[in-house]
Amino acid sequence: MTTIQRIWRLRSTLLRLRATRCLDCGYVSFPPKAACPKCGSRNVVREELPKEGKVLTYTVLNVPIKGFEDQAPLIVALIKLGDARVLAQLTDVKPEDMEIGMEVVATVRRTAPTLDGVVPYVVKFRPKEAEQRITLTASSTSTNPASSSKTNKASESGQTP
Amino acid sequence: MKSVYIVGVGMTRVGKHTHLSLRDLASEAVLKAIDDAGGEKPQAIVVGNMLSSLVEQENLAALIADHSGLRGISGFKTESACSSGGSALVAGYSLVASGLFDKVLVVGVEKLHERPTPDTTRGLAYAADADYELIYGISFAGLNALVMRYYMDRYGISREEMAWWPVMMHENGYYNPFAQLRKKITLDEVINSPVIADPIRLYDSCPLSDGAAAVMLTSEKFKSINDSPIKISGVGDAVDSPDLSSRFELDRLYASRLSAERAFKMAKKEAKQVDIAEIHDAYSIIAAITLEEIGFAEKGTAPKLWAEGRFRKGDRPVINPSGGLKSRGHPVGATGVYQAAEIAMQLRGDFPGMQVNGDIGLSQNVGGVGSNVITLIYTR
Repeated sequence: MTTIQRIWRLRSTLLRLRATRCLDCGYVSFPPKAACPKCGSRNVVREELPKEGKVLTYTVLNVPIKGFEDQAPLIVALIKLGDARVLAQLTDVKPEDMEIGMEVVATVRRTAPTLDGVVPYVVKFRPKEAEQRITLTASSTSTNPASSSKTNKASESGQTP
Repeated sequence: MKSVYIVGVGMTRVGKHTHLSLRDLASEAVLKAIDDAGGEKPQAIVVGNMLSSLVEQENLAALIADHSGLRGISGFKTESACSSGGSALVAGYSLVASGLFDKVLVVGVEKLHERPTPDTTRGLAYAADADYELIYGISFAGLNALVMRYYMDRYGISREEMAWWPVMMHENGYYNPFAQLRKKITLDEVINSPVIADPIRLYDSCPLSDGAAAVMLTSEKFKSINDSPIKISGVGDAVDSPDLSSRFELDRLYASRLSAERAFKMAKKEAKQVDIAEIHDAYSIIAAITLEEIGFAEKGTAPKLWAEGRFRKGDRPVINPSGGLKSRGHPVGATGVYQAAEIAMQLRGDFPGMQVNGDIGLSQNVGGVGSNVITLIYTR
């Protein structure tokens, strides 16, 4: 139950996963900071994080906070993306199939409505393996098996922000 | 800087106090502390509180002072999530140490059982990062669960080892007349309790609590108000990121380590000299990591040590003879002040629950998932 103003203010950070990199000590921080958390330098630049990474740890919420009740069981993970970590929801995966080290890829999905009743879109992550399965299914119905890798790339660029 | 002493303490029982308002709870603790300090009235009041918005009340220093017959004194509120009470102690300490006042009353108060639980848990999640965490629906328990899974995986800690902590806390709290959950529990009950945010189960978590605690702080000049004044000989306070994502390390709590180091340095003491400690076990994982950061256990070993029977009465240090946040309860903004009152009574020798003999005490109050941590060291 956030506000549409918040989603609007954060749109580029949240959807493009823009971190800050310190030009003095190299520390990459997501969320982005006004100054480097490690060395205090203000010499930081925005940098887009990779859209694929690995699950460092996760939780399955039987009781998400108010406003997200409909999404239970809600899977939230900390994901290693390049030199940073990102906290995000997992999607297209069952709680029992979750594991540390799972490779995941970013996708854009609907989330809980804001206080103003708007349905915002945020970045969630889904298993990379699931994407491959979907691609394989698609290629098996295709008349030209050689097009499967192209299909995969097209779907990736279409799904990732 | 002037020396600062605790010369009076007061607490309400922690629990679900439907019949008592926030001002009732706070003034009960305030008046008990004044009585314990020989009836001496404070010149200022500092209030620790996180979520009085749940009872639609702010302006707490005025409300509590006025209700307690202290109209006209100075006062303000401090907030740092679950360590709001610890922050109030730092502020109260500073007012006396600076010489601005000689007698300052610090009171922590929280009233969580007013609104439906979903409103309360959402409010508690305000301690997290609203822009980058809350918008994904994660609860405070969920954030702690992320750290718990990471820690258990990294150090090979079993479910049984983790579960010994709440069992031990409920054993200690059974004897504490101020505790919320005065019942002993078994390992099986912990392991089979309902899952809240996997791997965190009900008994890995503290309860929701109402309660208030107060301590009267004075300078050297007034310490003889009480026959057994307890000196606050070290104060350390540190902040970390409210978000988990940008932490330096996921299995450590940087602010816990820094605040403990600062408090030990100021008190000229070391972890191995501590006889009794009250630590912030809102979730068992926070107990594990803070025990390691304070210096009571090597990295990755705390759950193994407590599963082997360490930290109980007879050991040194004894941790959480009150029952900790698990059994005594966690009236959020009051918890840090409960810890101070409990350690002061332990060192005085008049704690009404599990009494531990000792000369050096420590308390550590944690806000957020270790984003704001206050450590205090107490000596007789």
